[in-house]
Amino acid sequence: MEEEGYIADFNGIEKPGDYFHRLRDEIQNYNEKFHAFNFIPEKLEEGFPFSVKDNICVKGVETTASSRILSGYLPPFDATVVRRVKEKGFSFIGKTNMDEFGFGSFGINTDISARNPFDEDRVAGGSSSGAAVATALIKYHIAIAESTGGSISNPASFCGVVGFTPTYGAVSRYGLIDYANSLDKIGLMARSVKDIEFVFDIMKGKDEHDSTSVDRKIENKKSRKITVIDEMISGVDEDIRKSFDSLLGKLEAQGYKISHTSLKEIGISGPVYYIISMAEASTNLAKFSGFKYGLKVEDFSLDYNTFFTNARDAFGEEAKRRIILGTFVRAASVRARYYQKALSLRALLIRKMREILKDSYILSPTMPIKAPKIKDVEKLTPVQNYMLDILTIPPNLCGFPHISFPYDYIDGLPIGAQVITDHFNDKALFSFVEDWENNFTYKFKYNLGEI
Amino acid sequence: MKIGLEVHVALPTRTKLFCACSTEETEEPNENVCPTCMGFPGSKPVLNREAVRIAKSIAFVLGCKIREKISFVRKVYFYPDLPKNFQISQLDASIGYDGEVSIKTKKIRIRRVQIEEDPAKILREKGMTLLDFNRSGVPLVEIVTEPDITSEQELRMFMHELRSILYYQGVDIDREVKADLNISLGKERVEVKNVTGIKNLIDAARYEIDRQKRIIDQGREPIKETRFYDEDEKITKSAREKEADEEYGYIYETDLTDYDTSGLVIDRGIIPSKEAKELSEKYGFDEQVLDELISLDRDAYRLIVSAAGRYDPQIIVSVVEQLKKFGEQSISEAAFEALLGVGKEVSLTREMIDKAKKGESIETSVNKENIEEKVRKYMQDNKALFEKARKDTKVQNFIIGEISRKYRFNPKQVSEIIKNMNLFK
Amino acid sequence: MDDTEFDRLLRICRLRLDKKERERIKKDVDEIIGYFNKIDDLNCDLEPAFHPIEIEGRMREDSVEKFDDQEALLKNTKTYRNFVLGPRI
Repeated sequence: MEEEGYIADFNGIEKPGDYFHRLRDEIQNYNEKFHAFNFIPEKLEEGFPFSVKDNICVKGVETTASSRILSGYLPPFDATVVRRVKEKGFSFIGKTNMDEFGFGSFGINTDISARNPFDEDRVAGGSSSGAAVATALIKYHIAIAESTGGSISNPASFCGVVGFTPTYGAVSRYGLIDYANSLDKIGLMARSVKDIEFVFDIMKGKDEHDSTSVDRKIENKKSRKITVIDEMISGVDEDIRKSFDSLLGKLEAQGYKISHTSLKEIGISGPVYYIISMAEASTNLAKFSGFKYGLKVEDFSLDYNTFFTNARDAFGEEAKRRIILGTFVRAASVRARYYQKALSLRALLIRKMREILKDSYILSPTMPIKAPKIKDVEKLTPVQNYMLDILTIPPNLCGFPHISFPYDYIDGLPIGAQVITDHFNDKALFSFVEDWENNFTYKFKYNLGEI
Repeated sequence: MKIGLEVHVALPTRTKLFCACSTEETEEPNENVCPTCMGFPGSKPVLNREAVRIAKSIAFVLGCKIREKISFVRKVYFYPDLPKNFQISQLDASIGYDGEVSIKTKKIRIRRVQIEEDPAKILREKGMTLLDFNRSGVPLVEIVTEPDITSEQELRMFMHELRSILYYQGVDIDREVKADLNISLGKERVEVKNVTGIKNLIDAARYEIDRQKRIIDQGREPIKETRFYDEDEKITKSAREKEADEEYGYIYETDLTDYDTSGLVIDRGIIPSKEAKELSEKYGFDEQVLDELISLDRDAYRLIVSAAGRYDPQIIVSVVEQLKKFGEQSISEAAFEALLGVGKEVSLTREMIDKAKKGESIETSVNKENIEEKVRKYMQDNKALFEKARKDTKVQNFIIGEISRKYRFNPKQVSEIIKNMNLFK
Repeated sequence: MDDTEFDRLLRICRLRLDKKERERIKKDVDEIIGYFNKIDDLNCDLEPAFHPIEIEGRMREDSVEKFDDQEALLKNTKTYRNFVLGPRI
């Protein structure tokens, strides 16, 4: 695989001797305003810069998933993706901010919210808020991020960068602090899909430490057909709807055949996703109990139930909500009605979407709204909040690879579209977005580290 | 009375169930540990094939149906020894189901044989709770019975039978075994959790049966509850209500997948009590005696099978019993045969056993007289042959061979005795 | 969900909420369960999809590999004579 995009440029340019030193200081400075990073190392190694979402383990570097309950956790090992990328000479520049454990769509479920580089009063999106902000700020950089229900697409769209979520199982999850094990996918954000493709080739593939990682060939079966699912555009904001229609026009002009279809079952994907993800999350979060790692309850004379309960006070409110709800849907008396039914419905949704994806892409806006103001999203109820994930959930729930790419700017804010393909056809997405990038130039307000 | 059991058995693998840490016991605590068996964030389980293979073998000898496709569940409960506050276990997709174990009086049905991970070892010392994760993640099978046991006697027989079957799978559960007992004399079920060792298990059951009987005799009903067995006081004690209120909230373990078990080759093993019965019927052993001899002794079983049908069953049993008294565990079959030749009336000595092991001939006074007697008898019946033998060494050898074969003597010994008796002169 | 059931859930989760938080979260939980109940609208008897893709389960060989950084592992925790300290039982 040949280096292209920013990685190729970067490696081809002669850099001043103190480049990495200055880059670090610059990032540190800007972080005070944008809060993209939870951690920045004292000294940067040489190499193409990469950041890591704070729910992915980097050996010896505090990894908290933006949760107070994990403060002080120093993983004794590197996540497989981190190890593989480090081995190829990339330079680790920090742990990126996020919603606590990935629970959120706006990056505000954390101590200090990351800010949108296009408008600091607005959210960066979530849960991989810091990864998107770092990508929008730093010129030569790739972000290792993670998506469970849209945590890559959503902030990529709000911050005007490319966000790639691979097929479930294509990339090892070893070293990822689990949100929902059957939904979590480690992916990438960058300023160009070419960089994503290059790093994806390094990260992907079977890992003996992750039993759900697979050794399947990643295909590049291109299609000239695009399907738009009516239910995925019916609820989006008017300006986004208009802009998306013009995107379809452009793609049609480039030779794609656009067709519309209805898939009414897609409306159920929100509740199905939240039931499964909360059920799994509530078991994953059981392990946090205040004595083996992370936050410590110092008083060992406490009865273990009180001890655990004291420790678990440190969870944020959204985490507590999800633990309670996840425990509820798993309870013996209702498990069949919620948890098992949701798993059956996931099978149904996979089947229905595959019928469409067998010979076409699915395209939709990534988010139904532009990046909202922080003060506005704080007023949303949880259900209103969950409903905004309606477009990113279907591919995430069903494990289909997808990319969000910037395609327009409304009122100075970037908006993204999301292209979806069938399992293990990830490379076709790269071809699709590369074509797009040949005809469209992304805008960035900041270019930290520019040479 | 209904008694059901959940018996936990540690499997003899080199590594833990979900990580490559050694299962070997070490002096130092937390020596064989890693992020996975300590439940650190970011770690993931990877299933040990050998553990599944042994579990499959055990399920098989317990008469279970074997599932080709297995998977795992998370069982969530909070306790300091449980690294993730959930245990990876099995439920509906367990390795074995619908088995049975026969005891004298009946069949005890096995509901399920499931694979799961052991928690850490927890100690209380000087007011501290000390955790050793060396134990954490050791593979276990849990054997779940139907409540078919109806007396202390049956519980004893079942545990003996189970121990003996598992012994032939390479596991001795005598002291290691951890079990939960469900005992109901009345309408409600009482669970006695976490009893260690067979002796304690039976003591706990006896206590609990008495306790419930007394309550019923007073015209009351035992209540549904969880109890613990106190080994020192030898009584069961009610658990606090809080712990009984746990909701496990089982879900599929999605860090693992479905696994195909059809390619795993099982150790067929034997069911010793069944084996004892069959050998007795076929060769005339005393079944009871044989069962006792082989139920926890693989070596005794090997020797008996090697000689059954060719020697007097009483001689076989007598020699094996005597060998065991001398602590012999791996005597060769040839040496065993040499000792069998000595006969049942003889008490073996250390010297005789050592000679047999070196392949030297064993002479005892009783043995010598015995051979002399048989030789005389043979001469009586074959006078003409002995006439010929005076001039012909081939015939001499033929006679020695015949006598040795017929009475299962050592030919070298027979030859010496005939020579000393001057019969060919 | 009634208060008894909600409190039981909190106990099972080892969570404690102060009065205001409890009120807020209880209300949210009820609302979200209402949102979950939308799945009642669709009938479906397909085999559950535990994962979004089919994965061939591969088992590990039983060979010992010692974890390479015991020190970094135990540095996270409080120990006494190399035992991990835990709460009272």
